[in-house]
Amino acid sequence: MTKKRSIFTQEVIVGIVLVALYLIFRLISPDFGKYTTFLSMMDISYYYALMAIGVAFPLITGGVDLSIGTGMICYALAGGCLIRFYNCPTGLAILVSILFGVGIGLANGVLISLMGLPPFLATLCTCMITRGLGSVVTGSFAIPWPTAKQDNGWFHSIFKITTADNLKLPLGLLWIILLTLIMQFVLAHTRFGRYTISIGSNKEAAILSGINVKFYHVMVYMVSGLFAGLASIAYAAVIKTVQPGTGAGMELDAIGGAIVGGVSASGGYGTIYGTVIGAYVIIFLKQGLPYIGFNANMQQIITGFVLIGAVTIDIIKRKVIK
Amino acid sequence: MGPVIGSGSISFSFYQQKEDKRMKKKVLAVLMSTVMIGSLMAAPVFAAENLSDTTEGIAQFEGLTANEAYDFQIVVKSFQSTYWQAALQGMDMAKDELGVTYTAQGPASESDIADQVNMLNSAINGAPAGVGLAACDTSSVLESLQAAVDAGVPVVAFDTGVPEPPEGSIVCTVVTDNVAAGEVAAVNLYEAVKDKIGQGAPVRIGEINQDNYALNIQQRGLGFINKLIELAAADGFTVAMEGNEFYVNEAEGAVEGDADIILEVRVPAQTTVDLCSTEAGTILDKEDTIAVFGSNQTAAEGLLVANDNREVLGDTIVGVGFDAGTSIKAAVEDGTFLGAVTQSPLMMGYYCIYALTAAANGQELIDVPTDGYWYNAENMNDENIAPNLYD
Amino acid sequence: MGEIILTMKDIDKSFPGVHALDHVDFELRRGEVHALMGENGAGKSTLMKVLTGIYTKDSGTITYEGETVEFHNTHDAQAAGIVIVHQELNMIGDLTVAQNIFIGREFKKGLMIDDRKMIRESKKLFDELHIDIDPRAKMSDLTVGKQQMCEIAKAISHQAKIIIFDEPSAALTEKEIEDLFAIIRDLRKQNLGIIYISHRMDEIKVITDRVTVMRDGAYIGTLITSECTKEDIINMMVGRVIYENPKTHSMVPEDAPVVLKVEHLNAGKSVQDVSFELRKGEILGFSGLMGAGRTETARALFGADPKQSGDIYVNGEKVTINSPEDAVRHGIGYLSEDRKRFGVVVQKTITENSTLATLEKYMAGMFINKAAEKAVAEKYIAELDTKTPGADQLVVNLSGGNQQKIVIAKWLVRNCDILIFDEPTRGIDVGAKNEIYKLMNLLASEGKSIIMISSEMTEILRMSDRIVVMCEGKKTGEIPIEEATQEAIMDKATRDIK
Repeated sequence: MTKKRSIFTQEVIVGIVLVALYLIFRLISPDFGKYTTFLSMMDISYYYALMAIGVAFPLITGGVDLSIGTGMICYALAGGCLIRFYNCPTGLAILVSILFGVGIGLANGVLISLMGLPPFLATLCTCMITRGLGSVVTGSFAIPWPTAKQDNGWFHSIFKITTADNLKLPLGLLWIILLTLIMQFVLAHTRFGRYTISIGSNKEAAILSGINVKFYHVMVYMVSGLFAGLASIAYAAVIKTVQPGTGAGMELDAIGGAIVGGVSASGGYGTIYGTVIGAYVIIFLKQGLPYIGFNANMQQIITGFVLIGAVTIDIIKRKVIK
Repeated sequence: MGPVIGSGSISFSFYQQKEDKRMKKKVLAVLMSTVMIGSLMAAPVFAAENLSDTTEGIAQFEGLTANEAYDFQIVVKSFQSTYWQAALQGMDMAKDELGVTYTAQGPASESDIADQVNMLNSAINGAPAGVGLAACDTSSVLESLQAAVDAGVPVVAFDTGVPEPPEGSIVCTVVTDNVAAGEVAAVNLYEAVKDKIGQGAPVRIGEINQDNYALNIQQRGLGFINKLIELAAADGFTVAMEGNEFYVNEAEGAVEGDADIILEVRVPAQTTVDLCSTEAGTILDKEDTIAVFGSNQTAAEGLLVANDNREVLGDTIVGVGFDAGTSIKAAVEDGTFLGAVTQSPLMMGYYCIYALTAAANGQELIDVPTDGYWYNAENMNDENIAPNLYD
Repeated sequence: MGEIILTMKDIDKSFPGVHALDHVDFELRRGEVHALMGENGAGKSTLMKVLTGIYTKDSGTITYEGETVEFHNTHDAQAAGIVIVHQELNMIGDLTVAQNIFIGREFKKGLMIDDRKMIRESKKLFDELHIDIDPRAKMSDLTVGKQQMCEIAKAISHQAKIIIFDEPSAALTEKEIEDLFAIIRDLRKQNLGIIYISHRMDEIKVITDRVTVMRDGAYIGTLITSECTKEDIINMMVGRVIYENPKTHSMVPEDAPVVLKVEHLNAGKSVQDVSFELRKGEILGFSGLMGAGRTETARALFGADPKQSGDIYVNGEKVTINSPEDAVRHGIGYLSEDRKRFGVVVQKTITENSTLATLEKYMAGMFINKAAEKAVAEKYIAELDTKTPGADQLVVNLSGGNQQKIVIAKWLVRNCDILIFDEPTRGIDVGAKNEIYKLMNLLASEGKSIIMISSEMTEILRMSDRIVVMCEGKKTGEIPIEEATQEAIMDKATRDIK
């Protein structure tokens, strides 16, 4: 699709930045290079990466989904409750969590596509709703998911397996790579993906081309909800005890990752692999800066500057093309 | 070493009288009620020398009955952790015994200060028989407390005390002594690692505090730090501070430069488990680390998440937690944590309702400091400990 | 010509403040090219949007292939075989040419879109149309003309029975227009019904079989092209509305000083080495085809878009204009073609809009002096004869013509002596149009200088003292009103088109 472009796309640049960051952190802090540090970083990366993959779709349509952070917590709470209070099999609870995410995505889609609310407003509302709903479904109490050692804690092995000689492998990374490839394929080679780009590039033209834009616009937010649902499982597997009232702000890390990874802030362009690489840049900063002596406040400041840099590249790129 | 520091004996005849109602509902309640009696008989008080005697505070409720079927309003900090579940259970027990009722509410998170003040105001406006308050921010509630005085509504502060409240507003304060709670963690941690200190190279002890602005976290964090410095000094060791500026500056008796112990305090930007785990990871990864303390449920859980991959706690590094919850309890049980300090949210809730009832009856009250417990794999199932270990 | 394929009867449609279609009739036969003519705002596009389901009609019936139909969206209309080549470009810039052509009906291979087949089919289509475009090119990389050709190819690729061309030639070169006509003749042979909307009288005579004329939202009549003259059509289009008398000679005094001088202005592709002078009291018309660079010139001059080079002199002094703020400071006001987006804040009152550009004059300390603000707004309501119940009226409630007056008031309040009117009467009713014309003449006679960009030939010829013609970003001619004819302008407007 982009045959004539320079090979130095934003995705490639960000990929180089990612490797550079890892090397710099390693150089400054030998502890950062430890395998166990890498494992911990991977653990925490999964739910951010999943959220980022999902939210890339609304972003490419020129919209946004602010409900994924609090939503993720809400879905994890719901699933956890089922296991804890209703002896629900883990598999069923996971399914419910994911479907809950799809449902909230559907609600977002209906509000935005059919009722015409601006995405920012609609998803801000569902952000608040899911935050409150999480407290309601749990009676406002923190909910522990089963631990890896419990019988119904098998879902931990989706993300991390321990070999016979006690070597831990970050299996989740494989799923992230796989999902990245699948969703990149969906974006580039299916109708859904093409219409996602079309909505972001020129919605009016898409409507006039006879595309059922309303339907696809709803789908876009359902995909975002689906991935927030998947993220809730990753969160439960890593953090184990889910606290209601948390999650606000996590969506910004995911959105920031997508933007860093080259998704156009005004819609119409983006790749899923870029999004995931961008999300890992944010995660590396978040996880690596404490190792080299920056406190987490400095980390937020630095992340802000990285975002400005990424968006500036996007703007300059568009001007040059023009 | 013994898990319980200090002792005392109190009898609670009133408690036994009405333990029946909840028994029918929940097996848990049965367990707790029976255990409670035992626990109160044994009355394990940690660091007794630092606390005012609990006997007097509790004795004032002896033979208490409610003059009317009072209705109370309870405003908690949030429902973010299972800690509050235990507090509400204690309240339920007390309300059943006394034949009173209460309604509890709280903001979505502990940082939603304005929401809590609104809830408090509307609670006071409803002219209840009394208000139980765990303030998120102690200075923000002062105006509301004045309104409570004007409306003649007695307020009982629990979990967190309010310094310098308006005259006549807070009739009773039911809190854990957080300084002492931090100290008991230091005592037990130091005991476990002191053999490794002074063997040539300096050793590192870490502390994860979820923030540096909440009074109870500050008190706990500094209680731990200062007690550790004191214990080390008694054995002729010096301590140097590293990390978060607030705790470094407030520590008393630390030295600059070379020391036998480096005490590193880390605070994340937000009070989330994953940010706590990153900070904990940096400490666990250091070669010279011998022990770490996580000073509340979030910090201790972050410590455990960081340990998931590293598996050093209970092996080369001693871990100490705070509060309870499923993950922390499991960690104490399997030896990942040497032990943890738990407050008694259940007792705080329980006495909060008692204090409210007594105040509504018109009784003059003195403050009620509640107990905290050091627990480890050996004693966590003891009848005097288990009821406070909420999931 | 074959049998009747489409009949539209008694079609009525109103928008807030505008009666866009007033009981219009229209008829189309198989194998005919039927021109739909009328001035801007006559209702041609609206009628076509009603036909293709973009707008819902208020009343009337549409009979298509013998059945009464009502399409609810373009998809329905396309499925039934009615497709439209839009006047505005409706392409998705971030997709390729082939992806655009087959959007909404992609070929699939399993779950995947078969991009290769789409590229093959696009090539086939382009070969038939003798168009040289790479189907793999990104749409936003193509020129406007090529994008238009893609739009046509896309419409043709539907199994269409009726194709509507909405001013298709506006951005095409002569060569492309010839190709287009060849295609249209071919389609006519295949017995398709073709509706052709255009302003260009010459094209109408060449390509169409019948002409239906509309005016002010009403149906005027239908003629057989070969049996009528240009003048017949123009008379029907213009009707008996009495406009300001067309200028036959310049009204500018011989000794009027030059107030604005632009030399070698360059701004991107759209503005290349443009130079001109504007004299005191003059109305300088800017004519040209769509995309000729007139608006871009104005925007660069006004500082709204960056310029690469060029000198600007106001009253003989060289000035630097890098932003609209600079321009306004030098007394230049710009009335945008898109009033709703750039000219007025419709949800605010007349008063607030009138002082929008000059608020600092109406401040008393930190606060706005509402009384002074209102007084000045009322003064201009009276002066410009704005029809409104009062200065507190929200602008959104005014008609297009009166909204335009508010924009003019805004700049007059600012004491601007040089006013750039970009399509000043677009979307304005005929009656109101004449008022705007009167007002412009009045302003000119009071010594204001006006640059008027207009796509309406009649408007250019009626109002200008002098006419600058542009083509593809370059100034291709300057014609005094005494020598100006439609043909002379058209000749220069297409001069550079290869």
